[in-house]
Amino acid sequence: MSPTATTAPERPMPDTDERPVTLSGRDAYRDELTRLAASDDTIVCLEADLGGKGHPFQAAHPERFLNLGIAEGAMVDMAAGLAAGGHKPFISTFAPFAALRAAESLKLTLGYLAAGVTVVAPYAGVSGAWFGTTHHCLEDLAILRSVPGVTIAAPYGDAEMRAVVREAVRSGRPHYIRTGRNARYESLPLSGTELPLVNWEFTADATGAVCLVSVGEEGTRLALAARRAAPGTAHAHLTYLDHDNLTAAAAELARHHSRFVVVEEHRGQGGIAEALALLLPACQVTSVSADRSWPSQGGDHEEVMAALGLDLPAVLDALHRAAR
Amino acid sequence: MSTAVLEDLQVGADVTATLAARAVEARRLVVDMAASSRGCHLGGSLSVLDILIAALHRASAGDGTEVVLSKGHAAAGLYAALHVSGALPENPAPLYGLAGHPYTGHPGPKVPGVRFPTGSLGHGVPYAAGWALSQRLRGRHGLGIAVAGDGELQEGLVWETCQVAAAQQLGNFVLVVDRNGGQNDGMVADISPLPRLAERFAAFGFDVTEVDGHDLGALTALLAEDRTAARRPLAVVADTVKGKGVRAVEGKAACHYVTIDQARAAKWKRAIR
Repeated sequence: MSPTATTAPERPMPDTDERPVTLSGRDAYRDELTRLAASDDTIVCLEADLGGKGHPFQAAHPERFLNLGIAEGAMVDMAAGLAAGGHKPFISTFAPFAALRAAESLKLTLGYLAAGVTVVAPYAGVSGAWFGTTHHCLEDLAILRSVPGVTIAAPYGDAEMRAVVREAVRSGRPHYIRTGRNARYESLPLSGTELPLVNWEFTADATGAVCLVSVGEEGTRLALAARRAAPGTAHAHLTYLDHDNLTAAAAELARHHSRFVVVEEHRGQGGIAEALALLLPACQVTSVSADRSWPSQGGDHEEVMAALGLDLPAVLDALHRAAR
Repeated sequence: MSTAVLEDLQVGADVTATLAARAVEARRLVVDMAASSRGCHLGGSLSVLDILIAALHRASAGDGTEVVLSKGHAAAGLYAALHVSGALPENPAPLYGLAGHPYTGHPGPKVPGVRFPTGSLGHGVPYAAGWALSQRLRGRHGLGIAVAGDGELQEGLVWETCQVAAAQQLGNFVLVVDRNGGQNDGMVADISPLPRLAERFAAFGFDVTEVDGHDLGALTALLAEDRTAARRPLAVVADTVKGKGVRAVEGKAACHYVTIDQARAAKWKRAIR
Protein backbone atom coordinates (compact mmCIF):
# COMPACT_ATOMS: atom_id res chain seq x y z
CA MET A 1 0.00 0.00 0.00
CA SER A 2 2.40 2.61 -1.12
CA PRO A 3 1.63 5.81 -2.91
CA THR A 4 1.69 5.68 -6.64
CA ALA A 5 2.84 8.32 -9.04
CA THR A 6 2.96 11.85 -7.64
CA THR A 7 1.29 13.39 -10.63
CA ALA A 8 -2.22 12.19 -11.28
CA PRO A 9 -3.73 13.08 -14.65
CA GLU A 10 -6.66 15.46 -14.67
CA ARG A 11 -9.85 13.47 -14.99
CA PRO A 12 -13.05 14.57 -16.65
CA MET A 13 -16.35 13.72 -15.03
CA PRO A 14 -17.05 10.06 -15.87
CA ASP A 15 -20.05 9.45 -18.09
CA THR A 16 -21.08 6.39 -16.18
CA ASP A 17 -21.50 5.59 -12.55
CA GLU A 18 -18.33 3.57 -12.58
CA ARG A 19 -15.43 5.36 -11.04
CA PRO A 20 -11.76 4.67 -10.69
CA VAL A 21 -10.89 2.27 -7.91
CA THR A 22 -8.57 4.72 -6.25
CA LEU A 23 -8.03 8.44 -6.64
CA SER A 24 -5.78 10.71 -4.66
CA GLY A 25 -7.43 12.33 -1.67
CA ARG A 26 -8.08 15.62 -3.37
CA ASP A 27 -9.31 14.01 -6.57
CA ALA A 28 -11.62 11.73 -4.60
CA TYR A 29 -12.97 14.84 -2.82
CA ARG A 30 -13.63 16.61 -6.10
CA ASP A 31 -15.29 13.58 -7.60
CA GLU A 32 -17.48 12.78 -4.60
CA LEU A 33 -18.59 16.37 -4.09
CA THR A 34 -19.48 16.65 -7.76
CA ARG A 35 -21.68 13.58 -7.47
CA LEU A 36 -23.35 14.77 -4.28
CA ALA A 37 -24.06 18.19 -5.77
CA ALA A 38 -26.16 16.58 -8.50
CA SER A 39 -28.87 15.94 -5.94
CA ASP A 40 -28.21 18.83 -3.56
CA ASP A 41 -28.37 22.27 -5.12
CA THR A 42 -27.24 23.98 -1.91
CA ILE A 43 -23.70 22.65 -2.35
CA VAL A 44 -21.29 25.22 -3.72
CA CYS A 45 -17.63 24.62 -4.52
CA LEU A 46 -15.13 27.42 -3.96
CA GLU A 47 -11.48 27.41 -4.94
CA ALA A 48 -8.71 29.94 -4.41
CA ASP A 49 -6.86 29.46 -7.68
CA LEU A 50 -5.46 26.08 -6.68
CA GLY A 51 -8.21 23.82 -7.91
CA GLY A 52 -6.46 23.13 -11.17
CA LYS A 53 -7.84 22.91 -14.64
CA GLY A 54 -10.53 20.40 -15.47
CA HIS A 55 -12.22 20.49 -12.08
CA PRO A 56 -15.13 18.02 -12.38
CA PHE A 57 -17.42 20.22 -10.27
CA GLN A 58 -16.87 23.11 -12.65
CA ALA A 59 -17.76 20.90 -15.59
CA ALA A 60 -20.87 19.47 -13.98
CA HIS A 61 -22.21 22.47 -12.03
CA PRO A 62 -20.60 25.61 -13.46
CA GLU A 63 -23.10 27.96 -11.83
CA ARG A 64 -22.08 26.69 -8.39
CA PHE A 65 -18.35 26.53 -8.98
CA LEU A 66 -16.55 29.73 -8.04
CA ASN A 67 -12.85 30.34 -8.33
CA LEU A 68 -12.45 33.38 -6.08
CA GLY A 69 -8.81 33.86 -6.91
CA ILE A 70 -5.88 34.07 -4.52
CA ALA A 71 -7.91 35.31 -1.57
CA GLU A 72 -8.03 32.65 1.13
CA GLY A 73 -9.33 34.81 3.95
CA ALA A 74 -12.07 36.31 1.82
CA MET A 75 -13.02 32.84 0.64
CA VAL A 76 -13.46 31.47 4.16
CA ASP A 77 -15.44 34.50 5.31
CA MET A 78 -17.59 34.57 2.20
CA ALA A 79 -18.32 30.92 2.85
CA ALA A 80 -19.73 32.01 6.21
CA GLY A 81 -22.04 34.38 4.36
CA LEU A 82 -23.04 31.64 1.94
CA ALA A 83 -23.78 29.26 4.80
CA ALA A 84 -25.90 31.91 6.51
CA GLY A 85 -27.83 32.18 3.27
CA GLY A 86 -28.61 28.46 3.28
CA HIS A 87 -25.78 27.03 1.20
CA LYS A 88 -23.27 24.28 1.97
CA PRO A 89 -19.95 25.75 0.89
CA PHE A 90 -16.98 23.48 0.29
CA ILE A 91 -13.81 25.48 0.00
CA SER A 92 -10.37 24.30 -0.88
CA THR A 93 -6.89 25.68 -0.83
CA PHE A 94 -3.52 24.34 0.23
CA ALA A 95 -3.28 23.46 3.92
CA PRO A 96 -0.58 26.02 4.77
CA PHE A 97 -2.74 28.80 3.38
CA ALA A 98 -5.99 27.56 4.86
CA ALA A 99 -4.77 26.74 8.34
CA LEU A 100 -2.24 29.51 8.76
CA ARG A 101 -3.03 32.44 6.47
CA ALA A 102 -6.76 32.15 7.06
CA ALA A 103 -6.51 30.92 10.66
CA GLU A 104 -8.53 33.75 12.16
CA SER A 105 -11.28 33.26 9.61
CA LEU A 106 -11.35 29.55 10.37
CA LYS A 107 -11.62 30.29 14.09
CA LEU A 108 -14.58 32.60 13.56
CA THR A 109 -16.37 30.79 10.74
CA LEU A 110 -15.86 27.14 11.64
CA GLY A 111 -15.51 27.59 15.38
CA TYR A 112 -17.45 30.50 16.80
CA LEU A 113 -20.14 30.62 14.12
CA ALA A 114 -20.22 26.83 13.74
CA ALA A 115 -21.09 27.54 10.12
CA GLY A 116 -21.70 24.57 7.87
CA VAL A 117 -18.53 25.17 5.91
CA THR A 118 -16.09 22.43 4.89
CA VAL A 119 -12.46 23.25 4.28
CA VAL A 120 -10.57 20.72 2.20
CA ALA A 121 -6.84 21.23 2.58
CA PRO A 122 -4.45 19.40 0.28
CA TYR A 123 -0.68 19.76 0.54
CA ALA A 124 -0.85 18.89 4.24
CA GLY A 125 2.30 17.77 5.99
CA VAL A 126 5.26 17.95 3.65
CA SER A 127 3.43 16.56 0.66
CA GLY A 128 4.45 19.76 -1.08
CA ALA A 129 7.96 18.31 -0.76
CA TRP A 130 10.42 20.06 -3.10
CA PHE A 131 8.14 23.11 -3.40
CA GLY A 132 9.69 24.13 -0.10
CA THR A 133 8.80 25.12 3.42
CA THR A 134 6.28 27.76 2.39
CA HIS A 135 4.22 24.92 0.97
CA HIS A 136 4.56 22.58 3.94
CA CYS A 137 2.03 22.37 6.73
CA LEU A 138 3.02 20.56 9.89
CA GLU A 139 0.98 22.79 12.19
CA ASP A 140 -2.60 22.54 10.98
CA LEU A 141 -3.82 19.87 13.37
CA ALA A 142 -2.51 21.85 16.34
CA ILE A 143 -4.31 24.96 15.15
CA LEU A 144 -7.62 23.38 14.19
CA ARG A 145 -7.75 21.03 17.18
CA SER A 146 -7.64 24.05 19.46
CA VAL A 147 -10.79 25.50 17.89
CA PRO A 148 -13.85 23.96 19.56
CA GLY A 149 -16.58 22.49 17.39
CA VAL A 150 -14.61 21.73 14.25
CA THR A 151 -14.70 18.17 12.95
CA ILE A 152 -11.21 17.31 11.75
CA ALA A 153 -10.59 14.42 9.39
CA ALA A 154 -7.44 13.06 7.77
CA PRO A 155 -8.77 10.30 5.53
CA TYR A 156 -6.54 7.61 4.07
CA GLY A 157 -7.48 6.48 0.59
CA ASP A 158 -10.32 7.04 -1.80
CA ALA A 159 -13.06 5.31 0.19
CA GLU A 160 -12.38 7.18 3.42
CA MET A 161 -12.25 10.54 1.68
CA ARG A 162 -15.60 9.88 0.02
CA ALA A 163 -17.13 8.81 3.33
CA VAL A 164 -15.83 11.94 5.06
CA VAL A 165 -17.18 14.22 2.33
CA ARG A 166 -20.58 12.52 2.48
CA GLU A 167 -20.65 12.99 6.23
CA ALA A 168 -19.70 16.66 5.91
CA VAL A 169 -22.61 17.21 3.53
CA ARG A 170 -25.02 15.19 5.65
CA SER A 171 -24.14 16.71 9.00
CA GLY A 172 -23.92 20.34 8.01
CA ARG A 173 -21.22 20.71 10.65
CA PRO A 174 -17.97 22.59 10.09
CA HIS A 175 -15.26 20.29 8.80
CA TYR A 176 -11.55 20.58 8.16
CA ILE A 177 -10.38 17.76 5.89
CA ARG A 178 -6.66 17.23 5.59
CA THR A 179 -5.18 15.52 2.58
CA GLY A 180 -1.95 15.28 0.65
CA ARG A 181 -0.97 16.16 -2.87
CA ASN A 182 -1.43 13.64 -5.66
CA ALA A 183 -0.36 10.38 -4.02
CA ARG A 184 -2.88 7.57 -4.18
CA TYR A 185 -3.36 4.88 -1.57
CA GLU A 186 -5.24 1.63 -1.59
CA SER A 187 -8.19 2.03 0.73
CA LEU A 188 -8.37 0.12 3.98
CA PRO A 189 -11.24 -2.35 4.19
CA LEU A 190 -14.42 -0.71 5.43
CA SER A 191 -17.57 -2.45 6.53
CA GLY A 192 -20.66 -0.38 5.84
CA THR A 193 -20.78 3.17 4.62
CA GLU A 194 -19.87 4.94 7.85
CA LEU A 195 -16.35 5.20 9.12
CA PRO A 196 -15.63 3.47 12.41
CA LEU A 197 -14.34 5.52 15.31
CA VAL A 198 -11.27 3.29 15.29
CA ASN A 199 -10.47 1.21 12.25
CA TRP A 200 -8.73 -1.87 13.67
CA GLU A 201 -6.59 -3.09 10.85
CA PHE A 202 -5.17 -5.69 13.22
CA THR A 203 -5.70 -6.24 16.94
CA ALA A 204 -3.13 -8.30 18.79
CA ASP A 205 -4.50 -10.69 21.36
CA ALA A 206 -2.46 -9.48 24.30
CA THR A 207 -3.45 -6.16 25.82
CA GLY A 208 0.20 -5.56 26.62
CA ALA A 209 1.17 -5.65 22.96
CA VAL A 210 2.27 -2.43 21.39
CA CYS A 211 -0.30 -0.87 19.08
CA LEU A 212 0.52 1.36 16.17
CA VAL A 213 -1.88 4.25 15.81
CA SER A 214 -1.83 5.71 12.32
CA VAL A 215 -2.96 9.19 11.38
CA GLY A 216 -3.36 10.60 7.90
CA GLU A 217 -2.11 9.33 4.59
CA GLU A 218 1.60 8.97 5.17
CA GLY A 219 1.25 8.01 8.82
CA THR A 220 -0.95 5.14 7.72
CA ARG A 221 1.33 4.16 4.87
CA LEU A 222 4.26 3.94 7.30
CA ALA A 223 2.21 2.01 9.84
CA LEU A 224 1.19 -0.53 7.21
CA ALA A 225 4.81 -0.87 6.12
CA ALA A 226 5.84 -1.39 9.73
CA ARG A 227 3.20 -4.09 10.09
CA ARG A 228 4.67 -5.91 7.13
CA ALA A 229 8.13 -5.64 8.69
CA ALA A 230 6.89 -6.61 12.14
CA PRO A 231 3.96 -8.98 11.67
CA GLY A 232 1.73 -9.33 14.69
CA THR A 233 1.93 -5.68 15.61
CA ALA A 234 -1.48 -4.24 16.37
CA HIS A 235 -2.60 -1.35 14.19
CA ALA A 236 -5.46 1.08 14.78
CA HIS A 237 -6.18 3.73 12.17
CA LEU A 238 -7.92 6.99 13.11
CA THR A 239 -9.70 9.19 10.58
CA TYR A 240 -11.35 11.78 12.83
CA LEU A 241 -8.90 13.75 14.92
CA ASP A 242 -10.83 16.52 16.68
CA HIS A 243 -11.06 16.52 20.44
CA ASP A 244 -14.54 14.99 20.69
CA ASN A 245 -13.84 12.13 18.30
CA LEU A 246 -10.39 11.55 19.71
CA THR A 247 -11.73 11.35 23.26
CA ALA A 248 -14.11 8.57 22.25
CA ALA A 249 -11.44 6.84 20.18
CA ALA A 250 -8.99 6.96 23.07
CA ALA A 251 -11.41 5.10 25.28
CA GLU A 252 -11.75 2.38 22.68
CA LEU A 253 -8.01 2.17 22.17
CA ALA A 254 -7.49 1.73 25.89
CA ARG A 255 -9.93 -1.17 26.00
CA HIS A 256 -7.56 -3.18 23.82
CA HIS A 257 -4.05 -1.91 24.49
CA SER A 258 -1.99 0.14 26.89
CA ARG A 259 1.11 0.95 24.83
CA PHE A 260 0.81 3.01 21.68
CA VAL A 261 3.12 4.36 19.00
CA VAL A 262 1.41 7.13 17.05
CA VAL A 263 2.64 7.80 13.50
CA GLU A 264 1.69 11.18 12.09
CA GLU A 265 2.98 13.61 9.50
CA HIS A 266 2.77 16.60 11.80
CA ARG A 267 4.97 18.13 14.41
CA GLY A 268 4.83 16.43 17.78
CA GLN A 269 3.70 19.66 19.37
CA GLY A 270 -0.07 19.84 19.09
CA GLY A 271 -0.21 16.52 17.32
CA ILE A 272 -2.31 13.46 17.95
CA ALA A 273 0.22 11.62 20.11
CA GLU A 274 0.31 14.57 22.47
CA ALA A 275 -3.47 14.62 22.61
CA LEU A 276 -3.71 10.86 23.24
CA ALA A 277 -1.08 11.08 25.97
CA LEU A 278 -3.32 13.56 27.80
CA LEU A 279 -6.43 11.49 27.19
CA LEU A 280 -4.73 8.24 28.29
CA PRO A 281 -2.66 9.08 31.35
CA ALA A 282 -2.50 5.43 32.40
CA CYS A 283 -1.12 4.35 29.05
CA GLN A 284 2.26 4.69 27.36
CA VAL A 285 2.03 6.88 24.28
CA THR A 286 5.05 7.62 22.13
CA SER A 287 5.25 9.50 18.88
CA VAL A 288 6.83 9.19 15.48
CA SER A 289 6.35 12.63 14.02
CA ALA A 290 8.20 15.45 12.33
CA ASP A 291 11.09 16.80 14.33
CA ARG A 292 11.54 20.51 14.97
CA SER A 293 13.66 21.25 11.93
CA TRP A 294 12.71 23.17 8.79
CA PRO A 295 13.34 21.18 5.64
CA SER A 296 15.26 23.43 3.30
CA GLN A 297 16.28 21.04 0.58
CA GLY A 298 14.47 19.45 -2.31
CA GLY A 299 13.41 15.86 -2.68
CA ASP A 300 10.22 13.93 -3.11
CA HIS A 301 7.63 13.50 -0.40
CA GLU A 302 9.27 10.50 1.21
CA GLU A 303 12.72 12.10 1.11
CA VAL A 304 11.53 15.26 2.82
CA MET A 305 9.74 13.20 5.44
CA ALA A 306 12.90 11.22 6.06
CA ALA A 307 14.80 14.46 6.57
CA LEU A 308 12.33 15.17 9.37
CA GLY A 309 12.82 11.76 10.95
CA LEU A 310 9.64 10.30 9.53
CA ASP A 311 10.49 7.02 7.89
CA LEU A 312 10.11 3.30 8.35
CA PRO A 313 13.29 2.83 10.42
CA ALA A 314 12.01 5.49 12.81
CA VAL A 315 8.70 3.68 13.21
CA LEU A 316 10.37 0.32 13.74
CA ASP A 317 12.76 1.83 16.25
CA ALA A 318 9.86 3.37 18.14
CA LEU A 319 8.05 0.03 18.16
CA HIS A 320 11.18 -1.67 19.46
CA ARG A 321 11.62 0.87 22.25
CA ALA A 322 7.95 0.74 23.21
CA ALA A 323 8.05 -3.05 23.46
CA ARG A 324 10.87 -3.04 25.99
CA MET B 1 -28.22 41.54 11.11
CA SER B 2 -31.45 39.70 10.85
CA THR B 3 -33.88 40.80 8.23
CA ALA B 4 -36.65 40.45 10.79
CA VAL B 5 -36.49 44.11 11.61
CA LEU B 6 -39.79 45.32 12.92
CA GLU B 7 -40.76 48.57 11.36
CA ASP B 8 -43.35 50.89 12.80
CA LEU B 9 -43.47 53.22 9.83
CA GLN B 10 -46.91 53.81 8.44
CA VAL B 11 -47.59 54.16 4.75
CA GLY B 12 -47.15 57.79 3.82
CA ALA B 13 -45.28 58.63 6.99
CA ASP B 14 -42.30 60.94 6.82
CA VAL B 15 -39.63 58.27 6.72
CA THR B 16 -36.71 60.61 7.19
CA ALA B 17 -38.28 62.29 10.20
CA THR B 18 -39.01 58.94 11.79
CA LEU B 19 -35.47 57.71 11.21
CA ALA B 20 -34.10 60.98 12.60
CA ALA B 21 -36.11 60.49 15.75
CA ARG B 22 -34.68 57.00 16.03
CA ALA B 23 -31.19 58.39 15.64
CA VAL B 24 -31.71 60.80 18.54
CA GLU B 25 -32.97 57.99 20.75
CA ALA B 26 -30.10 55.75 19.70
CA ARG B 27 -27.48 58.41 20.43
CA ARG B 28 -28.83 58.74 23.95
CA LEU B 29 -28.55 54.97 24.39
CA VAL B 30 -24.94 55.06 23.22
CA VAL B 31 -24.18 57.74 25.78
CA ASP B 32 -25.77 55.52 28.41
CA MET B 33 -23.38 52.75 27.39
CA ALA B 34 -20.44 55.14 27.61
CA ALA B 35 -21.59 55.81 31.17
CA SER B 36 -21.47 52.11 32.05
CA SER B 37 -18.62 50.66 34.05
CA ARG B 38 -17.17 49.35 30.79
CA GLY B 39 -17.31 52.51 28.74
CA CYS B 40 -17.65 52.15 24.97
CA HIS B 41 -16.24 53.09 21.60
CA LEU B 42 -18.19 56.30 21.65
CA GLY B 43 -16.86 58.25 18.68
CA GLY B 44 -17.27 55.53 16.09
CA SER B 45 -20.62 54.42 17.51
CA LEU B 46 -22.01 57.92 17.09
CA SER B 47 -20.52 58.46 13.64
CA VAL B 48 -21.99 55.26 12.24
CA LEU B 49 -25.46 55.50 13.74
CA ASP B 50 -27.25 57.21 10.88
CA ILE B 51 -25.77 54.77 8.40
CA LEU B 52 -26.90 51.82 10.48
CA ILE B 53 -30.40 53.16 10.97
CA ALA B 54 -30.80 53.79 7.24
CA ALA B 55 -29.40 50.35 6.41
CA LEU B 56 -31.70 48.62 8.88
CA HIS B 57 -34.60 50.48 7.34
CA ARG B 58 -33.53 49.04 3.97
CA ALA B 59 -33.37 45.56 5.49
CA SER B 60 -36.91 45.94 6.80
CA ALA B 61 -38.15 45.59 3.23
CA GLY B 62 -37.96 41.86 3.86
CA ASP B 63 -36.25 40.97 0.59
CA GLY B 64 -33.35 39.18 2.21
CA THR B 65 -31.12 42.18 2.73
CA GLU B 66 -28.53 41.65 5.44
CA VAL B 67 -26.62 44.41 7.22
CA VAL B 68 -23.21 43.59 8.70
CA LEU B 69 -21.42 46.07 10.92
CA SER B 70 -17.84 45.27 10.03
CA LYS B 71 -16.34 47.91 12.34
CA GLY B 72 -17.50 45.80 15.25
CA HIS B 73 -15.91 48.02 17.88
CA ALA B 74 -18.91 50.31 17.30
CA ALA B 75 -21.00 47.65 19.03
CA ALA B 76 -22.75 50.20 21.24
CA GLY B 77 -23.97 51.98 18.13
CA LEU B 78 -25.14 48.70 16.64
CA TYR B 79 -27.05 47.64 19.74
CA ALA B 80 -28.71 51.04 19.93
CA ALA B 81 -29.60 51.06 16.25
CA LEU B 82 -31.05 47.55 16.44
CA HIS B 83 -33.14 48.54 19.42
CA VAL B 84 -34.60 51.71 17.99
CA SER B 85 -35.29 49.92 14.69
CA GLY B 86 -37.23 47.20 16.47
CA ALA B 87 -34.94 44.23 15.77
CA LEU B 88 -33.76 44.07 19.37
CA PRO B 89 -36.71 44.23 21.74
CA GLU B 90 -34.84 44.74 25.01
CA ASN B 91 -32.98 47.90 25.82
CA PRO B 92 -29.32 46.90 25.65
CA ALA B 93 -27.94 49.92 27.51
CA PRO B 94 -28.54 48.78 31.11
CA LEU B 95 -27.17 45.32 30.26
CA TYR B 96 -24.16 46.38 28.20
CA GLY B 97 -20.97 44.55 29.17
CA LEU B 98 -22.59 42.66 32.03
CA ALA B 99 -22.22 38.96 32.80
CA GLY B 100 -25.14 36.90 31.59
CA HIS B 101 -25.95 39.23 28.72
CA PRO B 102 -24.72 39.12 25.13
CA TYR B 103 -23.87 42.81 24.72
CA THR B 104 -20.11 42.48 24.60
CA GLY B 105 -17.69 45.12 23.45
CA HIS B 106 -17.68 43.59 20.00
CA PRO B 107 -20.86 41.99 18.67
CA GLY B 108 -21.52 38.33 18.09
CA PRO B 109 -24.40 36.16 16.90
CA LYS B 110 -25.82 35.74 20.40
CA VAL B 111 -27.27 39.23 20.05
CA PRO B 112 -30.73 39.12 18.48
CA GLY B 113 -30.48 40.52 14.98
CA VAL B 114 -26.75 39.86 14.60
CA ARG B 115 -25.55 37.01 12.38
CA PHE B 116 -21.79 37.39 12.30
CA PRO B 117 -19.05 38.13 14.84
CA THR B 118 -17.15 41.27 13.97
CA GLY B 119 -14.61 43.56 15.54
CA SER B 120 -11.62 41.72 14.36
CA LEU B 121 -11.52 44.17 11.50
CA GLY B 122 -12.10 43.30 7.89
CA HIS B 123 -14.24 40.19 8.30
CA GLY B 124 -17.65 41.81 8.03
CA VAL B 125 -16.94 42.87 4.46
CA PRO B 126 -16.56 39.30 3.13
CA TYR B 127 -19.39 38.09 5.35
CA ALA B 128 -21.71 40.53 3.60
CA ALA B 129 -20.26 39.70 0.20
CA GLY B 130 -20.85 36.00 0.84
CA TRP B 131 -24.40 36.77 1.84
CA ALA B 132 -24.89 38.73 -1.38
CA LEU B 133 -23.48 35.83 -3.36
CA SER B 134 -25.87 33.43 -1.66
CA GLN B 135 -28.81 35.69 -2.50
CA ARG B 136 -27.76 35.82 -6.13
CA LEU B 137 -27.29 32.06 -6.38
CA ARG B 138 -30.80 31.63 -5.03
CA GLY B 139 -32.23 34.13 -7.46
CA ARG B 140 -33.21 36.54 -4.70
CA HIS B 141 -32.91 40.32 -4.64
CA GLY B 142 -31.55 40.96 -1.16
CA LEU B 143 -28.42 43.01 -0.65
CA GLY B 144 -25.38 42.24 1.41
CA ILE B 145 -24.57 45.56 3.09
CA ALA B 146 -21.25 45.85 4.89
CA VAL B 147 -20.64 48.91 7.04
CA ALA B 148 -16.92 49.44 7.48
CA GLY B 149 -14.79 52.13 9.02
CA ASP B 150 -12.23 54.14 7.07
CA GLY B 151 -9.50 52.99 9.45
CA GLU B 152 -10.66 49.45 8.81
CA LEU B 153 -9.76 49.85 5.16
CA GLN B 154 -6.14 49.37 6.21
CA GLU B 155 -6.92 45.66 6.55
CA GLY B 156 -5.93 43.60 3.52
CA LEU B 157 -9.00 41.40 3.82
CA VAL B 158 -11.19 44.32 2.77
CA TRP B 159 -9.36 44.70 -0.53
CA GLU B 160 -9.18 40.97 -1.08
CA THR B 161 -12.94 40.98 -0.88
CA CYS B 162 -13.32 44.01 -3.13
CA GLN B 163 -11.28 42.18 -5.74
CA VAL B 164 -13.47 39.10 -5.44
CA ALA B 165 -16.76 41.05 -5.36
CA ALA B 166 -15.88 42.90 -8.53
CA ALA B 167 -14.71 39.75 -10.26
CA GLN B 168 -17.93 37.97 -9.32
CA GLN B 169 -19.98 40.95 -10.50
CA LEU B 170 -21.75 41.16 -7.16
CA GLY B 171 -24.08 44.02 -7.97
CA ASN B 172 -26.07 43.31 -4.82
CA PHE B 173 -23.07 43.88 -2.56
CA VAL B 174 -22.88 47.31 -0.96
CA LEU B 175 -19.92 48.52 1.07
CA VAL B 176 -20.63 51.65 3.09
CA VAL B 177 -17.57 53.36 4.51
CA ASP B 178 -18.13 55.37 7.67
CA ARG B 179 -15.41 57.91 6.91
CA ASN B 180 -15.03 59.65 10.26
CA GLY B 181 -11.30 60.16 9.85
CA GLY B 182 -10.31 58.56 13.13
CA GLN B 183 -8.89 55.31 14.37
CA ASN B 184 -7.70 53.93 17.69
CA ASP B 185 -4.40 55.74 17.98
CA GLY B 186 -5.28 58.98 16.23
CA MET B 187 -6.34 60.23 12.84
CA VAL B 188 -6.34 58.07 9.75
CA ALA B 189 -4.61 60.84 7.84
CA ASP B 190 -1.68 60.75 10.27
CA ILE B 191 -1.34 56.98 10.55
CA SER B 192 -2.08 55.45 7.15
CA PRO B 193 -3.90 57.90 4.87
CA LEU B 194 -6.38 56.84 2.21
CA PRO B 195 -5.96 59.30 -0.63
CA ARG B 196 -8.38 59.18 -3.56
CA LEU B 197 -10.58 56.66 -1.84
CA ALA B 198 -13.47 56.91 -4.29
CA GLU B 199 -11.05 56.42 -7.17
CA ARG B 200 -9.71 53.30 -5.49
CA PHE B 201 -13.12 51.70 -5.37
CA ALA B 202 -13.82 52.75 -8.94
CA ALA B 203 -10.55 51.18 -10.00
CA PHE B 204 -11.67 47.92 -8.41
CA GLY B 205 -14.76 48.00 -10.57
CA PHE B 206 -17.26 49.38 -8.07
CA ASP B 207 -19.98 51.91 -8.62
CA VAL B 208 -19.09 54.69 -6.20
CA THR B 209 -21.11 57.36 -4.44
CA GLU B 210 -20.00 59.89 -1.88
CA VAL B 211 -22.60 61.10 0.58
CA ASP B 212 -23.07 62.99 3.84
CA GLY B 213 -23.17 60.09 6.28
CA HIS B 214 -25.58 61.93 8.55
CA ASP B 215 -28.11 62.76 5.83
CA LEU B 216 -30.72 60.13 6.51
CA GLY B 217 -32.75 61.09 3.48
CA ALA B 218 -29.79 60.67 1.14
CA LEU B 219 -28.66 57.44 2.78
CA THR B 220 -32.16 55.99 2.65
CA ALA B 221 -32.54 56.87 -1.01
CA LEU B 222 -29.15 55.37 -1.89
CA LEU B 223 -29.86 52.11 -0.15
CA ALA B 224 -33.33 51.86 -1.64
CA GLU B 225 -31.94 51.71 -5.19
CA ASP B 226 -32.96 48.69 -7.20
CA ARG B 227 -29.73 46.82 -7.85
CA THR B 228 -31.35 43.76 -9.34
CA ALA B 229 -29.65 44.26 -12.69
CA ALA B 230 -26.42 45.74 -11.36
CA ARG B 231 -23.20 43.95 -12.23
CA ARG B 232 -20.88 46.18 -10.26
CA PRO B 233 -20.81 46.27 -6.46
CA LEU B 234 -21.55 49.62 -4.87
CA ALA B 235 -19.22 51.57 -2.59
CA VAL B 236 -20.79 54.37 -0.58
CA VAL B 237 -18.21 56.66 0.95
CA ALA B 238 -20.12 58.34 3.74
CA ASP B 239 -18.48 61.34 5.34
CA THR B 240 -19.25 61.41 9.03
CA VAL B 241 -18.19 63.16 12.20
CA LYS B 242 -16.61 61.16 14.96
CA GLY B 243 -18.74 61.61 18.07
CA LYS B 244 -21.59 63.08 16.02
CA GLY B 245 -24.39 64.48 18.18
CA VAL B 246 -22.36 65.15 21.31
CA ARG B 247 -20.93 68.60 20.80
CA ALA B 248 -18.30 68.17 23.50
CA VAL B 249 -16.53 65.43 21.60
CA GLU B 250 -17.47 65.91 17.96
CA GLY B 251 -14.50 65.53 15.63
CA LYS B 252 -12.07 64.70 18.39
CA ALA B 253 -9.84 61.66 18.03
CA ALA B 254 -9.79 61.29 21.81
CA CYS B 255 -13.44 60.24 21.83
CA HIS B 256 -12.57 56.89 20.30
CA TYR B 257 -13.13 55.06 23.59
CA VAL B 258 -14.83 56.90 26.41
CA THR B 259 -16.01 56.17 29.93
CA ILE B 260 -18.04 58.92 31.58
CA ASP B 261 -19.99 59.39 34.78
CA GLN B 262 -23.74 59.58 35.07
CA ALA B 263 -23.86 63.33 35.53
CA ARG B 264 -21.98 63.97 32.33
CA ALA B 265 -24.10 61.43 30.53
CA ALA B 266 -27.27 63.19 31.61
CA LYS B 267 -25.90 66.52 30.41
CA TRP B 268 -24.84 65.13 27.05
CA LYS B 269 -28.14 63.33 26.53
CA ARG B 270 -30.15 66.49 27.16
CA ALA B 271 -28.12 68.24 24.47
CA ILE B 272 -28.68 65.60 21.79
CA ARG B 273 -31.20 66.81 19.22
